[in-house]
Amino acid sequence: MLTIDRRTFVKASAMAAATAAASGSAHAVSLHVLNNQPEGSSLTWQKAPCRFCGTGCHVMVGTENGRVVAIQGDQKAEVNKGLLCVKGYHVGLALYGKDRLTTPMLRKDGKLVPISWDEAIDIIAKRIADNPKAFAMYGSGQWTVGEGYAGNKFMKAGLGSNNIDGNPRLCMSSAVTGFLSTFGVDEPPGAYDDLDKCDVAIMWGNNMAEMHPVLFSRLVDRRTRGEKITIIDFTTRRTRTSEQSDQVLYFKPNGDLAIANGIAHQLIKNNSFDKDFVEKHCNFRQLGAKPDDKTPPDMLGVPMTFDEFAKAVEPYTPEKVEELSGVPADKIRMLGEMFGRRDLKINSLWCMGMNQHTRGTAINCLVHGIHLLSGHFGKPGDAATSLTGQPSACGTVREVGTLCHLLPGGRLVANAEHRKEAEALWNVPEGRIGDKPGYHTIELFKRFNTPTDQGGDITTVWVQVTNPGQTLPNLQRNFREKKNLPDKFLIVSDVYPTATTELADLILPSAMWVEKNGMYGNSERRTQQWFKMVQPPGEARDDCWQLIAVSRKLMDMGVEGMKDKDGKWIFHTADKAGVEVPIWEWPHYYDTNVDERLFEEYRPFTTKKHKHLAPYSEYVEHRGMRWPVVQQPDGSWRETRWRFSEFDDPFVAKGKGFQFYHSVSKDDKALIWFRAHELPPEVPDLDYPFWLCTGRVLEHWHSGTMTRRIPQLHRAMPRAYVEMHKDDASRLGIQNSEVVTVKSRRGEIDLPVWIGGRGNPQPGEVFVPFFDEGKLINLVTLDAYDPYSKQPDYKKCAVTIVRKP
Amino acid sequence: MHEDPGLSRRDLLRGRLLGQFLGRLAQAATNKVQAVQEAVASSAASQAKPADPDPTASGAMGRRLALPIHRPPGAIDEVSFLAGCTRCNECVTACPVGAIVHAPAKFRAAAGTPMIDPHTAACIMCTDTPCITACKPGVLRADQPRAMGVAWIQTMACLAHTGSFCTVCSEQCPVPGAIEVHACKPTIRPDACTGCGVCANVCPAPTNAIVVMPLADRRTRSSSSGHH
Ligand code: SF4
Repeated sequence: MLTIDRRTFVKASAMAAATAAASGSAHAVSLHVLNNQPEGSSLTWQKAPCRFCGTGCHVMVGTENGRVVAIQGDQKAEVNKGLLCVKGYHVGLALYGKDRLTTPMLRKDGKLVPISWDEAIDIIAKRIADNPKAFAMYGSGQWTVGEGYAGNKFMKAGLGSNNIDGNPRLCMSSAVTGFLSTFGVDEPPGAYDDLDKCDVAIMWGNNMAEMHPVLFSRLVDRRTRGEKITIIDFTTRRTRTSEQSDQVLYFKPNGDLAIANGIAHQLIKNNSFDKDFVEKHCNFRQLGAKPDDKTPPDMLGVPMTFDEFAKAVEPYTPEKVEELSGVPADKIRMLGEMFGRRDLKINSLWCMGMNQHTRGTAINCLVHGIHLLSGHFGKPGDAATSLTGQPSACGTVREVGTLCHLLPGGRLVANAEHRKEAEALWNVPEGRIGDKPGYHTIELFKRFNTPTDQGGDITTVWVQVTNPGQTLPNLQRNFREKKNLPDKFLIVSDVYPTATTELADLILPSAMWVEKNGMYGNSERRTQQWFKMVQPPGEARDDCWQLIAVSRKLMDMGVEGMKDKDGKWIFHTADKAGVEVPIWEWPHYYDTNVDERLFEEYRPFTTKKHKHLAPYSEYVEHRGMRWPVVQQPDGSWRETRWRFSEFDDPFVAKGKGFQFYHSVSKDDKALIWFRAHELPPEVPDLDYPFWLCTGRVLEHWHSGTMTRRIPQLHRAMPRAYVEMHKDDASRLGIQNSEVVTVKSRRGEIDLPVWIGGRGNPQPGEVFVPFFDEGKLINLVTLDAYDPYSKQPDYKKCAVTIVRKP
Repeated sequence: MHEDPGLSRRDLLRGRLLGQFLGRLAQAATNKVQAVQEAVASSAASQAKPADPDPTASGAMGRRLALPIHRPPGAIDEVSFLAGCTRCNECVTACPVGAIVHAPAKFRAAAGTPMIDPHTAACIMCTDTPCITACKPGVLRADQPRAMGVAWIQTMACLAHTGSFCTVCSEQCPVPGAIEVHACKPTIRPDACTGCGVCANVCPAPTNAIVVMPLADRRTRSSSSGHH
C-alpha cells in the first residue's frame, strides 16, 4: 500500500498556494513547501490555453515521465493572471479518464469491434468517394485552428462541397450575424481590458460568475481594490452573478428586445444620445419587405432615417416596456439616463442568453445599437462584447470559416468574388468551390435522420470534437431517428464514449489537447498556441491526421479534387530541403510541424477583413495575441485591443477618430438597427404551463464528457436536476429532491427537483443543465431557430412538470 | 519549445495535480486521517478564526498518544465504546453508502472498530440511522448526539475565498444551516455541523479545503437528558 506521508500532504497543499497567490492572499502553505522539497523533481513546464471554455485562460502544464502531472494558472497570461476556475485547475485530468478510446472500432451486426487504422481510413474514403454530395462534416469550436482549416479545405476545396458545419451554429452564430449586420465584419471590437476599465457592466442574460468565472473574478476583484463598479444583471433567474450585482432586473423571455428598444427610446426622448458620434459614424437600418411568405427579409435590411428610427422606437415607452418585459418602468428610465451619460463607461456582456434566441440576430443588433446611439463605443471600458462558450469558436470556426456558408477569413460561399479569391489562395481550379451554402446544423442532422428516399440526402456524417447526440435540440427528431435507418453511416472521432458514439458506426480514437500541437482563438480575438507534450494513449491519433489520411487515400483512389491546379495533393507538405514529408503516414506525421504549416497557409486569408495574424513563431513566444496583429517598422508585431478606434487600430485612417472600414453601407459607418419586440415561437399555455431554460454549470464544460470523468468535478456536481421556484413547488405539492417528469411536446425526462438551489428561477420558469448524458434535456427542447443565424433557442420552450404517481 | 516559466523550486511544487495521488489516497485512508490531523495541528495556530474550533483543543489533540477516531453517529464515550464494541461488523454492512470502515492497525487498541474517513466516503446523515439500529451491543445509540466531529474551511485553499466561485460544500451538506453562504463565500457553523464530512468529500478545490476533526472528548449522555 502506498502511503501518504507528511511531506506528500504538504505537497498536496501546495496547490492551494497557487490559488491563493493568484488572488494575492495567504502564503502560509508555500512556506511549508519550501521546507519540504522532494528530491529528484523533474517536471517540464510548458504553456497552453485551457482546454475548456472560450475565456482562454492560460495554464502551465507540468509533465513528468510522459504524463501531465501538474497544472497551474499562468502568471504571465494577461487573460487570467494566474487565476483559474475549478475546471481549469483540474484540466490535466481530462486526459486520464479510465475509458479513453484507444482503438478504431466498427459496428458489425450491432456490435463494436476493433479494426485497424488502415481499415478505418479505407472505409471512410470509400463512403465519401461513393457519394461525396451525401457526405457531411460536423465539427466545433474545439477544433484547433489547423484542424478546422484542414477540414474546411478538405470539404470546400477538395470535395467541392459546403456541407461542413459545427457546434458554433448552436452557440455563437447569432453573435456573428449581429456583428456582421452592425459592423460588416465578425467579432467583438472590444477586449477583456474593458472589464478592467468600465464603470458599469451589464449582463444581458449572462451568468458570468458560473460560465466565465475567471472573467467575472477579474471584474469583481476591482471592488476589493476599492474601485466602484456597478453590475446590472438582466436575467430570468437568480444566479451567482445576481448575488454580486447591484441591480437584478428580471425579465420575461424575449423581453430583452423590448428593453433595448426602451433604452433607445429614452436616449432619443431625453435628447441624450451622442449626436456627434451618430452623425459621423452611424446609419440607421430596418428590415425590408418579406420577399414571400416563406422567406425572411434580407439580413442587411434597408436604410431608414433618424426620424424614422425615432418614430419606430416611440411606442417603447417605459410603461410599454414594463408591460412587455416585466422590468419596472422606472428601471428603464434609470437605464436610459445611464446610457445618456458620457462620463460613464459601459460594458455590455452576453453569451448564450442573447445568442440561443429565435430573435438572436435582432437582440445582438439592438444591443450594439444602443451602444452606438449613446456613443458608448470604442473607448476603453465602453464596449458591447459577446463571450464565447468554446475555446476556439472564434479562432477556428468563425475565423477559419468552418460553417456551411463561410470561407476562410470572413469570406462568403455565396459571393463569387470571395470564392475566386479562396480558389486562388488554395490554388484549385476556378469553380471548384460550390456556389451555394451547404446545410446548416439543424438542416444537416434533419436530413441525416430522414429516410434517404424521402429527402434525407445526407447519408454519411463525420463528427469530430463534439457531441451532437447530447447537444442538438429535439434529439429524438434530429439525432436518434438514424437508429432505424440502416443506410445512414455515422463516423465519430472522439476521446471518450459519448451520446454520439452510442449511435456511431465507426469510432475513431483521437488525441486531445496537449497530446497534439494546436492553436485556439478565444472570445477577445486572441490567437493562442501550444505544443504537444505527451503521447496520446493506445492508437489514438490527431483529428487533423485523420482528415489528412482520408484525403490522401481519396487522392490515391483517383478523386481529382484532392489535387490542386498543378496536380499536387492539397495537403502536400515538404521539409526545408523541399522533400515531401509523408504526413499521411502516422509515424511521419510529427516529422514536421503540420500545425505550423497549415497556419502559415491560412494566414494570407486573414488580411481581407483586416484580421491579420502574425507568423506562427510569434504565438510560440506569447500567451496569445489579439488580431489584427501588425508588424511595426522595427520588425516587432503589435496586437490590437480596440478595433475601429483610431488610438489603437492601425487600420483606422488618421484623423477619423473611428472608422468602420468594413461598413455594410460602404461609407465607414456602423448600422444602428431597429428590430421590433416579438413573442417566442412557443409560449407556455394550459397544457405546458412552464418556461424551460437550459444551460451550463460551473463544474462541467459543455456536454460533460471530459469534466464528468474528473473525480473532483463529478463529485461536486454529480447529476442534472430541475430548478424551480419554491412557490411553484409548494403549489404543486413538490418536495425538494422529489423526482418529477419534465415534459414538452417533443419528449420527457425524469429529474430531481432542486428548490433554492444554485439558481432560482422566477415563478413559472424551470431550469435544467444539459451536462448530464444520463438525463438528456435536449429530448425536451425546441428546435426552432433564428431565421438569419439558424441558431436554435435552448433558453425557452413550454414544458409541464408532472409528479410521479 | 520547453520554457522556463520563471518558477522557483518552490513554485514547481505548486499546482501538482492532486489527482496524481488521488488513487493512493483512496488506498491510504488511514494514513490520511493522520495527515489531516497533523495538518490541523500545524495550521490551527496560523489561521485561528472565529469560525474555527478552539485551537487549543486541536493543539492538545496533536499531543495525544491515542489518535482520536472518527466514529459513526451516536457513539458513546470512547472508553466505553472500546470496551463495548464487539467488532461484529453489523454497522459496517448496514451503512448504505459504505462510509463505515474498520480502523486499521495503527489505531492499536481501536483497530478493527468502526470508523469513518470522510475523504473516502462520508456519512450522509440518514434520518433512520441504520448503523445505530444495527449495533447490538449499543455502543452506537439513538439517544446519543449525532455529531461525530466538526468540519472547517481552510480559506486559503477554498476557491470561493480566494477569488473564484464555488458553493459545492453548502449545496451538498445534508445538515440544514450547517454551511452558510454570504457574498458567494461559504462558512461552516460549528454548532450545527455534525462532522459527517460530506463537504470534505465533495470539495473540488485543487487542495481539499475542508478539514474534518473527530470529536476529541466524547462523553456518553445519560438517556434521560437525550432527546434525539
Ligand atoms: S474553463 Fe474557462 S474560465 Fe475556467 S480555467 Fe478554463 S478557460 Fe479559464
